Amino acid sequence: MFWLKRLASMVVAVLGCFVVDSLIRHSFGDYEQRIIVLAALYVTLAVSLNLINGITGQFSIGHAAFYQVGAYTAGFISRRYIHDLGHHPPPIPWLIGMIFLAAAAASLAGFVVGLPSLRLKGDYLAIVTLGFGEIIRIVVQNTDELGGSYALDNIPKIQPIWLTLLLAVTCIAVCRNLIKTARGLTFLAVREDEVASSAMGVNVTGVKVTAFIIGSAFAGAAGALLAHYEGLITPTTFAMDVSFIILTMVVLGGTGSITGSVFAALFLSYLPEYLRGLKNAKGDPLVVSGTAIIAGLICVVLAVVFIKKILDAGRGSPKSRGFTYVGIIVAAMCLEPLFSALLHPVKSLAAMQIEAGQLRMVIFAVTLVVLMLLRPQGVFAHHEFSWSFVRKLFGGRNGPTTGVAA
Amino acid sequence: MIYLAPHLLAGLDFRTLPEQLVNGLFLGAIYALIALGYTMVYGVLRLINFAHGEVYMLGAYTALFVSYYLGFGPASNATHSSAVNLLIMLFASMTVCALIGVIIERFAYRPMRNHSRIASLITAIGISLLLQYGGALFLPNSPPPSINEQVNPYRGSTSLVIVGASQADKNAVGAAEPAAATAKKAFDDYLASHPMESEFQVSKAAEPLRDAARDTQVKLDNAKRKVATSGVSITIRYGELIIFGTSLVLMIILTYLVMFTKRGRAMRAVSHDFDSAALMGVNVNSIITFTFVIGSALAGAGAMMQATLKGSTISTFFGLLPGVKAFVAAVLGGIGNIPGAVLGGLLMGLAETTVIWMGYSRYADAIAFVVLIVVLLLKPGGLLGSAKVEKV
Repeated sequence: MFWLKRLASMVVAVLGCFVVDSLIRHSFGDYEQRIIVLAALYVTLAVSLNLINGITGQFSIGHAAFYQVGAYTAGFISRRYIHDLGHHPPPIPWLIGMIFLAAAAASLAGFVVGLPSLRLKGDYLAIVTLGFGEIIRIVVQNTDELGGSYALDNIPKIQPIWLTLLLAVTCIAVCRNLIKTARGLTFLAVREDEVASSAMGVNVTGVKVTAFIIGSAFAGAAGALLAHYEGLITPTTFAMDVSFIILTMVVLGGTGSITGSVFAALFLSYLPEYLRGLKNAKGDPLVVSGTAIIAGLICVVLAVVFIKKILDAGRGSPKSRGFTYVGIIVAAMCLEPLFSALLHPVKSLAAMQIEAGQLRMVIFAVTLVVLMLLRPQGVFAHHEFSWSFVRKLFGGRNGPTTGVAA
Repeated sequence: MIYLAPHLLAGLDFRTLPEQLVNGLFLGAIYALIALGYTMVYGVLRLINFAHGEVYMLGAYTALFVSYYLGFGPASNATHSSAVNLLIMLFASMTVCALIGVIIERFAYRPMRNHSRIASLITAIGISLLLQYGGALFLPNSPPPSINEQVNPYRGSTSLVIVGASQADKNAVGAAEPAAATAKKAFDDYLASHPMESEFQVSKAAEPLRDAARDTQVKLDNAKRKVATSGVSITIRYGELIIFGTSLVLMIILTYLVMFTKRGRAMRAVSHDFDSAALMGVNVNSIITFTFVIGSALAGAGAMMQATLKGSTISTFFGLLPGVKAFVAAVLGGIGNIPGAVLGGLLMGLAETTVIWMGYSRYADAIAFVVLIVVLLLKPGGLLGSAKVEKV
């Protein structure tokens, strides 16, 4: 019965991906399709980084490196075999093969980076992963066979949306199922206390390296899909800020929460497109003045200071505090035009015209800082989506919880 | 490897090595100044201050704006500068950076002190991104500005001869000189007597004269070049010498502050044991502020000198790579250890110029990370470090 259920859910997942694929192809244009594909890739990246950072408790901030290794491996081989040598393999099986190859290459890289994690912890590991990412980028940039600093182009375009969706679903399923197994519990144990878990017989080294290998394999697979979707990849596609974006997704969702990573990845991939799509009354891209941005920042700072004060004092019921927070946020929003008006005499700021789309990284940065100050555990903290929670939401009785305790 | 060695060595020009090493020391002085900020903050807070590179960046922008204020705008043709202008810029950069460092500490790091170190680290990354990308909206960024080179009155250079050229080469120059002079004089005389002709338009009869003048001049030039390249000499720009000297002075002041003042002793106590220092009556908050003031001011000094005396172009990513390299320098010397940061900075500068000297200049930025990974794997405490890296 168990295996029947498993099999059925797998079939449903694959069929579901096909259905969603055809729905997307019918109802959206190329531009929207690309955004959806990139969002699915970001979900894969965020969930796989969550496995390393959230579930195993390591701190890797060089995830774009594995993405890059996968993309360049698949892109290079595909270009060589199909474009240069003129072979015509069936596209989808070829792409699936490339995904596995890219995953293997990236997991090898993950193994190499995972090795220092045996000796290092916390911020040191962070800086090593960051450095490793930069080394890979610089080496690619200086290798002419890989297109150098220009681009690796002429990668044959194979663009199955269902495969990107399926990869994201697989990644989520692997991570979710992993933490339900006995082996997965060792990952959580390592996160909670390395010394205690090793005393309990957990192979700490093995767990950390496994986490790095699985996480980087999914990132590499995502890279293979990206290379074949875009047909052209450049080293700057995988620069340091991509790593930071993925990190922001994991942190925003709540380190350790797969649900959180998924929602944060979807939200943060949609946000820049939303900002870019903002139009003013005349239909031109919305332009913000420098005063509005500075005023907005001041309001954010004020709101954070007040909320932090109340948070630290910890008085009142959660509900009343919630109302206070909402009140503060509304007040801050109302104060924004006031500060704008106060700042208006500063000519150089008022004259500044900034397109809303340019604010993307600034908003990410502010999100990171504000989140750390107010809710360092992230929006979802350690909570996961569960059907019993949905049932409870609709008035059902409280079923057995499957959530992993924080 | 043994078989590879001759090939690797064949392309190297050892005569330029001393000059590159001196350049490396000068470069390393800047890294050392930035690394001191990283190491001091790590010492007291156990936090990698990711935003330190951005403080450095803002220091360069401060220097830029002060230079505009002093009348050296992008379009100005002011030429008379003096050391006073440089000093004003230096103090402005140091002050502004100290202020920014304190603000960042007060509003971003202090509220995080009771949370996990990873949370502080993410905050630091967030501040760094905010300053980079937020700065890009408000600061002049594209095209990347650079400080008017006229601000710097010390643009000359001097040549330091270590090994002179061989006597035979010098004799060859001596022998070529009179021949070239006579041939040139003969041709000049001919031109003077034939005003219709020039060097490029001579009659058939005068061609041998012209060719003789040319050939002897080429011979003389070749002989001179041989003298110039057969010896070993070091070209030192005065600006870089000033950078090195100023860095040394700042480091001596720092040593005095840390080793011989009451606050310095308190700082060392906090670095040694945060909680015990607090119990012994040390005002930990004021000491941390003091640390940020000093560290950021040093970064500001480094940024001003890099932007003014070396004339680097400034963008909001100005601090990214120097920041990372300086961090590596701090780790190399042993993070938390002040002499270690200086040593690490100088070694990083040397490593970088050595890589450039070996012909791998495209990999100059990667060497920092390679050094970092090697150090962390082999000697995580760093060269002089007593600081223990968190190990399992």
